[in-house]
Amino acid sequence: MDKANNSNNNSGRVKLKTLPHSQDLKWPMLWWIAMEKLYRTLPWKKTAWTCAAFPIEMMWIYDIFPDHPENMATVAAARKQSQRLIEHAEGMGFSRDLCSYCKTNIGAYDTKIKKTLGGISKPDIVVCTNAICDTHWKWFQIMADKMNVPFFMFDIPKWVSGTDEKTLEGNIDYVVNQFYDLMVFIEKHTGKKMSEKRLYKVLGKSMELSDLWREIFEHRKSVPSPYSGAETSAAFFPLVVLPGVQVGIDFFRKVLADIKNLTAKGEGTMPKGMEKFRVMWEGIPFWYRMRFMYDLAQYGAVIAFEPYTYSFAPPKKKCSTMEETLRDVAKLIMDTPYAYNLERRIENFEKWVDEYKIDGVILHENMSCRPSSAGMVDLAEAIRKDKGIPVLILQCDMNDPRAYSEGQIKTRIEGFIELMEANKK
Amino acid sequence: MKKIAYFDTSHEMPLEIIMAAGFTPYKIMGDVHKSNDPADKYLSSFFCPAARSWLTEALAHSKEWEGIVFAQGCNNTNRHYDIWKVHVETPFLHWFSCPILDSDAAKKYYKVELQRLISSLEKKFDVKITPEKIREAIGKSNEIKKKLQQLSALRSQKDIPNRDYLAAIIKSLTAPVHEILSWLDSEIKAWNARPAFPSGKKRFLLTGSDITYIEWMDTLEDCGIRIVRDDLAVGERFFATWIPDGNDPLDSLIEYYTNIPKPATRPTIQKRLDFLYKAIGETKVDGILSQNIKFCEPYAYDSVPVNNALKARGYKVIHLERDFSPADDQQLTNRLMAFVEMMDGGNNG
Repeated sequence: MDKANNSNNNSGRVKLKTLPHSQDLKWPMLWWIAMEKLYRTLPWKKTAWTCAAFPIEMMWIYDIFPDHPENMATVAAARKQSQRLIEHAEGMGFSRDLCSYCKTNIGAYDTKIKKTLGGISKPDIVVCTNAICDTHWKWFQIMADKMNVPFFMFDIPKWVSGTDEKTLEGNIDYVVNQFYDLMVFIEKHTGKKMSEKRLYKVLGKSMELSDLWREIFEHRKSVPSPYSGAETSAAFFPLVVLPGVQVGIDFFRKVLADIKNLTAKGEGTMPKGMEKFRVMWEGIPFWYRMRFMYDLAQYGAVIAFEPYTYSFAPPKKKCSTMEETLRDVAKLIMDTPYAYNLERRIENFEKWVDEYKIDGVILHENMSCRPSSAGMVDLAEAIRKDKGIPVLILQCDMNDPRAYSEGQIKTRIEGFIELMEANKK
Repeated sequence: MKKIAYFDTSHEMPLEIIMAAGFTPYKIMGDVHKSNDPADKYLSSFFCPAARSWLTEALAHSKEWEGIVFAQGCNNTNRHYDIWKVHVETPFLHWFSCPILDSDAAKKYYKVELQRLISSLEKKFDVKITPEKIREAIGKSNEIKKKLQQLSALRSQKDIPNRDYLAAIIKSLTAPVHEILSWLDSEIKAWNARPAFPSGKKRFLLTGSDITYIEWMDTLEDCGIRIVRDDLAVGERFFATWIPDGNDPLDSLIEYYTNIPKPATRPTIQKRLDFLYKAIGETKVDGILSQNIKFCEPYAYDSVPVNNALKARGYKVIHLERDFSPADDQQLTNRLMAFVEMMDGGNNG
């Protein structure tokens, strides 16, 4: 039985209602593109490659443009370019089993693909962390060597299950010490100096951006859901590269106003009365097939919460000294929900299941992200047992369309929908 | 002597601390002959098969060990610690967060982590790990390293099958220290008495993921390949350098562990290359065999720039990806044989 509403007939498809200001996302995007042009034109401006879990604010503090290979890899996937770029990188010798973001970037740089299709230019410096994966630093180091660009990496200790406070403080000390190494590195390779005044200004704006996103998430707890993962997966862009600048704040304020307006009227992103299942999605989306998120609507399912975009907006503290600030940032790097250890993952996922009134959880077991996929079996088991809801582990890939099997995924999703349906009876 | 087992994707675990606590350090290496089904209940098949085999071993044998220490290694397996914490029965499980950098900040942090490991062991097992005991352990460790260096050097001079070398390393990483020392003495004597390097074999440097089962070494043997140098952790990286003598034994350990030849899980690629260049500068080789076990990301990443750099210097390099299996892989054998045959026709650096 085809559980989707008219799934083979577009005329009757359920459409998710987007927020009135969703199109305003173009402004932060255009601002970012314009800034890159400006920073590449003016000789005293500098550019860097950065990655997820790197404190991007540091780049804005130093007046360095933070280019973002992962972000550009998602652009390539959305523009249906990632497969050919990945295959190009595999042609250079990189294994099929390696991260598809990395290979998309390597392919994009090597083929000099246009920016609008996910292309990326050579930066002045390359900076990264190993907070999420080894891939980040292996990939960035390989590219820094290839481009002959100075390379810096933060070594972020792992916050494993059972880490006590004393150990955590030692870990923070280590990261803070590396901030001073980063300052030396930046000064040496760009001539730019730390400005404490600018530090507080940028971090203040970053905090405001995070707070707004978290407030948006508070409203996502409403039933029906006013804002689905289908929209947030694009809308969180300012958190990726613009923490610390005003343009993202302006956009999030509009989004928040739209959501407040919707929830006040008791409306949601699904047509009235159509929201049947509230789903939590864990992991990176299938960027080459964002339609997947909209397809869920055909079954009455909406992604009401996803830890991935939430990860980018941790609660930030207002600090009054440099040392206090660096300690706070160091802790936040280690504390990203995307890299939670198993114990904290279970604890938080179960809390979110309650808060967001979740009917089922989809865990994307991402073949390009082994660290995030480790422990998913135990996570699924704990949620099933403690919360009594279905959990689907879906093995696929975030940027490599070759891993996506339409028929198999549809079958598994339909089975999952049936389980949620039965569970609600 | 009782064992403390350790999970280590390279040579990061400061064994001397375990020895100073009165235990035999036992490197968990899994068993390629056993099915990974027990571990596969918790980990998907796209995770490193060697690491899954280690979990299988721990699920079956953890009660034979007094405890387990995880040394931070590759990030794909770091999170396995959480899974082990849930499923492996052990009275002592410790996360040793060795830094991956070798900066001053990293060395400072290394000391904090060493002291935390010492304190955990002391508390759990009611022992005192004194500087004298650590110095004594360092002495024994260095003795093992020196003897392994002697054995290793014989590979390019004598008829030493690949499997004999691997067996010696594996024993050195798993057996009680006093047994290892006397056994290595007898092996050095025996290896010295062996015939000269066989004329029909090619001398190779082996690089990439660790090899932990002799069947794969036999495959190389069957293809006419003799490994005379390597940069594996179950290999030369374990004994390439000695632990320096210093006033503070912890400082000596920090100096040693942050300066040993780099694996792919530690920056930088250039430092890895420097060791490879040094090895092939010291020992003439016919070719270089680069391999990575399926799903081993760090070595798969490195293989491209490392092999390109070696080829640029004129070395003959073959790269292949292997499964974690003792079974014959005829496709792989064919490739290796063809490479060896081709070698007779050309220049080699």
